[in-house]
Amino acid sequence: MPLLKEFRYHSPATVGEALKLADKSKEPLLLAGGTLVLNYLKRSPRCPSDVIGLKKIKALEGIKDSKEGVSVGAMTTIAELLDSALIKKSFPSLIQACARIATTPIRNMATIGGNCCSRFYWVDLPAVLESLGAKVVVATSRKKQIVSLRDFLSSKPSKKAVVTRILFPRKDLWGCYFRYTKTMDVDIPSLGLAFACRRNNSKCADVRIIVNTTTSLPLELKQTQKLFEARELGRIDPNQVRECLDADAKGTKLDEYRLSCLAADLGNLK
Amino acid sequence: MKKITLEVNGKPYALECPDSELLIETLRDRLGLLGTKYSCLEGECGACTVLLNGENILSCLALSVEADNAEITTIEGLAKGSEPHPLQRSFVDKGAVQCGFCTPGMILAGKALLDKNPHPTDDEIARGLDGNLCRCTGYIKIIDAVRHASKK
Repeated sequence: MPLLKEFRYHSPATVGEALKLADKSKEPLLLAGGTLVLNYLKRSPRCPSDVIGLKKIKALEGIKDSKEGVSVGAMTTIAELLDSALIKKSFPSLIQACARIATTPIRNMATIGGNCCSRFYWVDLPAVLESLGAKVVVATSRKKQIVSLRDFLSSKPSKKAVVTRILFPRKDLWGCYFRYTKTMDVDIPSLGLAFACRRNNSKCADVRIIVNTTTSLPLELKQTQKLFEARELGRIDPNQVRECLDADAKGTKLDEYRLSCLAADLGNLK
Repeated sequence: MKKITLEVNGKPYALECPDSELLIETLRDRLGLLGTKYSCLEGECGACTVLLNGENILSCLALSVEADNAEITTIEGLAKGSEPHPLQRSFVDKGAVQCGFCTPGMILAGKALLDKNPHPTDDEIARGLDGNLCRCTGYIKIIDAVRHASKK
């Protein structure tokens, strides 16, 4: 018995063609690396009428550097990000996150665009991308717009929009990423912590602390960010860190286990 | 149905397969290459590993239509006639095979690693094989075997 229910597959060469196909289809599904979506389709009672593969679209490939920042094609795989000298130099926290995503064959197949569009809360990249101020380029048949990752993730998912590129307007941010799993490293994380800031004579500026709680959109820890602003890493009172975390955690799903992980790692940042 | 062309283990195939067929189904059920294993079918275990244009990927998570015009290597494509590939020889010499179910995937993941990094450290070997599970050996002998092959 076949593993997947029947659908029509399309392989457009341009974003415009992909959008036309999506508009015409009764039940379209845009396919990036497929590591999440194809598994979902194996179990789902529903099946798309049309699967639109994005692999042949050249505009969704490549990592480009310019004065405006770094632009990463949505179909760039996690392995390609890890191999990129530009990403290694500019965004060490993104490298740390990519290095801990799943396993080697999954990293060879999964894409940055798919990771952002999957809407599974436990995926690693949204938190680190948000900490780095990433924006996404979203194309529909009517318009192309650049939106913040936060706005994109908060908006209603559309089956008729293609994320074409991920933009990093700033290259002056230092950052790091911590990922917590309760068992094996390859497991779904129970928590992800992305920290980014500008290092201004050893003091922090423009601090961004985003956590991936696995149950909701990435969470910005606003009180804790304020605490780190204009301070030197490694010289912040751990009790103050915990107080701010407790304030940020009100009304969220951050439990004692997660808060203690965050307090330990934020307190030890150097 | 779609017409696709695959080069599998150096041999060209022109096939007609359903749009929704997975690469593992094409390799096993159409081409009879049974070294690629049906196992978890979720991308967890690595038993269905094949090389697609030299990279180790999971054939249970890839559509055959997306592999159109690709070069695919399965475990059946490694030996040269009756001469095993150095990795296959190492797995035998080092006793890295017990039940053997994970072995095709392990060897192909090892090949992808050594093609990219001919002299890996033990940590790099472990990371290169991180997508392949073995319930018998405890991995020590598998890592030994890849290290041994890297010295040949």
